[in-house]
Amino acid sequence: MTTIFYAEPELVLGHGRKVLFLNPNDLQIFKDIELPADLTTCGLKIAAGETNEEQQQPVGSEKAAAAGTNLEVSIVNVSYSPDRQLIALTTAGQKALLLYKSRPEHAKLLSVRALARASSSLAFAPDSSSVLVTDKTGDCYRYDCVELEAPPQLLLGHLSIVYDILWTPDQKYIITCDRDDKIRVTNYPATYDIHSYCLGHKEFVSGLALLTGTEHLVSASGDKTLRVWNYLSGKQLLQHELPAPAVRLQLRQLLPAKRFQVAVLFYDHVEALGLYELALDEQSNDAWTIARQQLVRAEAGSWNISCFALTADSIYVAGALDERLTLRVYNSSDGEQAKTVPTGWLDMVTERFADQTCVPEDLSVWFKKRYDNVSDYMERKKRRIEDHQQQQQQQKS
Amino acid sequence: MVTNSQEGETLPATSSVTGLPQKRFYRQRAHSNPIADHSFDYPARPEDVDWRSLYPNIGSEQQVEFADIGCGYGGFLVTLGEMFPDKLAIGMEIRVKVSDYVIDRIAALRMKNAETSAYQNIACIRTNAMKYLPNYFQKSQLEKMFFLYPDPHFKRAKHKWRIINQALLSEYAYVLRSGGLVYTMTDVEDLHKWIVSHMTQHPLYERLTDEEANADPITPKLYQSSEEGAKVVRNKGDHFLAIFRRI
Repeated sequence: MTTIFYAEPELVLGHGRKVLFLNPNDLQIFKDIELPADLTTCGLKIAAGETNEEQQQPVGSEKAAAAGTNLEVSIVNVSYSPDRQLIALTTAGQKALLLYKSRPEHAKLLSVRALARASSSLAFAPDSSSVLVTDKTGDCYRYDCVELEAPPQLLLGHLSIVYDILWTPDQKYIITCDRDDKIRVTNYPATYDIHSYCLGHKEFVSGLALLTGTEHLVSASGDKTLRVWNYLSGKQLLQHELPAPAVRLQLRQLLPAKRFQVAVLFYDHVEALGLYELALDEQSNDAWTIARQQLVRAEAGSWNISCFALTADSIYVAGALDERLTLRVYNSSDGEQAKTVPTGWLDMVTERFADQTCVPEDLSVWFKKRYDNVSDYMERKKRRIEDHQQQQQQQKS
Repeated sequence: MVTNSQEGETLPATSSVTGLPQKRFYRQRAHSNPIADHSFDYPARPEDVDWRSLYPNIGSEQQVEFADIGCGYGGFLVTLGEMFPDKLAIGMEIRVKVSDYVIDRIAALRMKNAETSAYQNIACIRTNAMKYLPNYFQKSQLEKMFFLYPDPHFKRAKHKWRIINQALLSEYAYVLRSGGLVYTMTDVEDLHKWIVSHMTQHPLYERLTDEEANADPITPKLYQSSEEGAKVVRNKGDHFLAIFRRI
């Protein structure tokens, strides 16, 4: 899986076994992380035949554990702690959470802890003291970042995969969204106590972002809507129709508590991305509108886009072309290819990933299979009733 | 084929003696995978539910307060409706045929008791209670929840399918009001121990003492009125009861 995000002034790009930290302004590479092909060499302990009750044991798990060293390592999520001291990354294949010290050294490995399942999302606490990891079964674990060897704490569980997770800045709530259309606001640290739900989406919710300075949240979904909520009351404040299902969401603050740029990646659409400017109405404190919108074609269809990052005036888009990682840049203002970033530099960056294949992820599985197991039964029942009534008629005559 | 003596509409799988639907036309296997996408229509939010279509005489401010989770063929739900005529009780059942049986049973009971308007306070919906409780019920709405003879899902790989698990207990606590009660009953001792252990560990529940449990007028009904319960009594099995209060 590929991951890219902007943590000013660094653009972070992760794929396969490498993470690059780039400066798009002066086209330098700050630092990089390269994982070994076998994480046990840097301290990962793979427990053979785990007996944790929360885990589902596939039949071949013993074989897999023994052959754990043969699994390919590939980076899934990367995140910077808010204080920029730490970098967290999670891997699939050999499933692990790695923590690095970001300053002053060049990404020094601090700890490697095994994950029960590959992560689906990752988030640092606002005070950088811990990191939350969610997985495809909907479980959410807290890993301590001060006690680096501390085992994970299971905080809460959804019944389907959790696509995004975040903390509120006061650390009083954790907000999660899943494939069952739900956005859940849970108390922290009393995570057994659910505060509220933001209900209304009709398909998976793929991304969440806090509108900092307010009690509001923006979400994007496979139901082709972008919605704004008051997460404390669960009330929906705005619903904006999108041209296609949204599979990723990124946010940039333009004016604290007043204006935000929201960008979404579309699934299977002629335009790859939609940029929307959310503005809070002057008079009220919960009336949001879409002040501006810009669609970015990004040559959708000719390559397989997986993720993107927003900088002050550009969008960096990463994806696969001919099974190789490809990076392109577009202007936020007009959606055209950015002239400011030389393609030579982009090629140089992606060249660093040339030895790792880049296979696009199939997102069609995110959509729920809604099959009708009622109509057949009702049809047969109706026919039974009709046959019975016919027989009654015949017997009467 | 026995000719029905009643005029007008009768459901074909209806007994000519009692006028009620016959179970043998609604048989379905007991086990079901709750994690797979079963329901294809469910409300996005509680405000979207048309409660009047389920409870024709519902008052303007009235809300469902009792929920029988996994109500099976509806035996206990019917008893609950009789015991508490002023309260609305809902049965939730994931199996298509079984929930349809209960819906037909309630319709037949209402028709038979049209003069007294009995059984207008019970209804059944076909849904996955593990996934969709917050879609149907608002925070702190329910007064009582019943988990009678839930599927034990014996294999360890299936433990996450058990209707009482750590993650779901938080969701049940969300829809249940403070002071509300959770009634659990099973004939599988291992499952009973699992339930007691998980609910005791969960900070939002406290177990009722034996005195408190026995003082509850619902308790004796838990043993007999559900079809599963009656079967256990017939087979001389054990009943394991645990009632918890939501703090």
